[in-house]
Amino acid sequence: MSDSLLDVVVVGAGPAGLFATYYAGFRGLSVALVDAQSEAGGQITALYPGKVIHDVAGFPAVTGSTLVAGLVSQAKEYSPRLLFDTDVTGIEGLDGGAFSVLTSGRGALSTRTIVLATGVGGIHPRLLPIGHEWHGRGVVYVVTDVAAHTDHDVVVVGGGDSALDWALALRPYARSVTIVHRRRAFRAHAALIARAEREGVRLLTEAEIEAVDGDHRVRHVVVRREGGELLDLPADTIVGALGLLSAPTPFPDWGVEVRQRKAVVNSRMETSVPGIFAVGDASTYDGKVALIATGFGEAATAVNNAALHIDPAQSLMPGHSTDEELAPPTLRTGQLPVVAVGGRPIT
Amino acid sequence: MTYVIGKECIDAQDRSCIDACPVDCIYEGGRKTYINPTECIDCGACELACPEVAIFPARKARGNAEWEMFTADQAAFFSEPLPGHDEPLGDPGGAEALGVIGVDTELVTGWRG
Repeated sequence: MSDSLLDVVVVGAGPAGLFATYYAGFRGLSVALVDAQSEAGGQITALYPGKVIHDVAGFPAVTGSTLVAGLVSQAKEYSPRLLFDTDVTGIEGLDGGAFSVLTSGRGALSTRTIVLATGVGGIHPRLLPIGHEWHGRGVVYVVTDVAAHTDHDVVVVGGGDSALDWALALRPYARSVTIVHRRRAFRAHAALIARAEREGVRLLTEAEIEAVDGDHRVRHVVVRREGGELLDLPADTIVGALGLLSAPTPFPDWGVEVRQRKAVVNSRMETSVPGIFAVGDASTYDGKVALIATGFGEAATAVNNAALHIDPAQSLMPGHSTDEELAPPTLRTGQLPVVAVGGRPIT
Repeated sequence: MTYVIGKECIDAQDRSCIDACPVDCIYEGGRKTYINPTECIDCGACELACPEVAIFPARKARGNAEWEMFTADQAAFFSEPLPGHDEPLGDPGGAEALGVIGVDTELVTGWRG
């Protein structure tokens, strides 16, 4: 990463952060977007990509994944730096009012302003209550390469769609696949469960891992079933698929005042630290309504005020995006290319 | 805004909602589980996870006497001292660390289905 001074670093690639990134580019600011996940979308991508959203202005109905795809292509319009799989580990003040955003693996980013769009916090896999100490030695939370598990005995722990998805993805490669789920019933879609049964995935409900054993890596698990019966299963790989858990962003460590774990902002969306702004679910103020729809407005407000923070001679108002060019004649009739559920434009 | 667990959970207590909740805000009573209305982020993952179809969004409770009752009762689980507790639970910031609380509100304790 070059050490040139950026105008804005946006932290978090959910809907508010993606729109802030677009908006910073539109205002002519240099911008980097940092997110801990490997793909954009934040809560939408992690929790409800398939849900239909009805309260985004201009979209009567849009799936989460379609909305995110649109936000990503919009954000990329002015070629921001996109840094995924990157945690922000700290924020430090520099001389002259600039900031250093410390990251995992990408060094430090120097910037004049920061927009915190960290939502409900970092989203991480829920750790296995028993067996996590074998992480990296047979225990995984994300399957990156199914073929790496060829001829493995695989135990998947969990009962949601991701547990079933991973079991089915590994089944053609693995020697055996067993799903261990502590509840009576699976949360996963019935069709996935039926397919798993058909394809020879062993399903154990009301069962929990009691112990994990091995040498330099995992070799066995002991599973306790309802009633106390113990099963000793061979296991080369244990996939933890217990869902996701969010952890609050450590705003106080960054000097940012919080209320109920959210960054307190004023009407400029600026936090207690001048030059650090917060938008979307990460922010709070009197009368706050936490919606995607309001997050977009907050992002525009924050970035325009960030522009003013950088150069007080700038106008707060950016002008209108419609000033840039007249729409092509085919679009002047009011027939806007509405992106429908499923992602294809309605023509 | 928050999600609410209704009467279908009482004695069924499947607990899938607890696995699905990304902020660990669903607390386990004796006969029922309860969503902390302050800690809930309104994502709806629990509603989809519940096999008893016990969970509804609070905004849909208006005008439905039973749902309004369970919405108020769920809030009371955190804001009023529970049997055997001197203080209300409040907003503990995570259910897993607390474990099973094991007692319920007056309404749920005395519930006859």
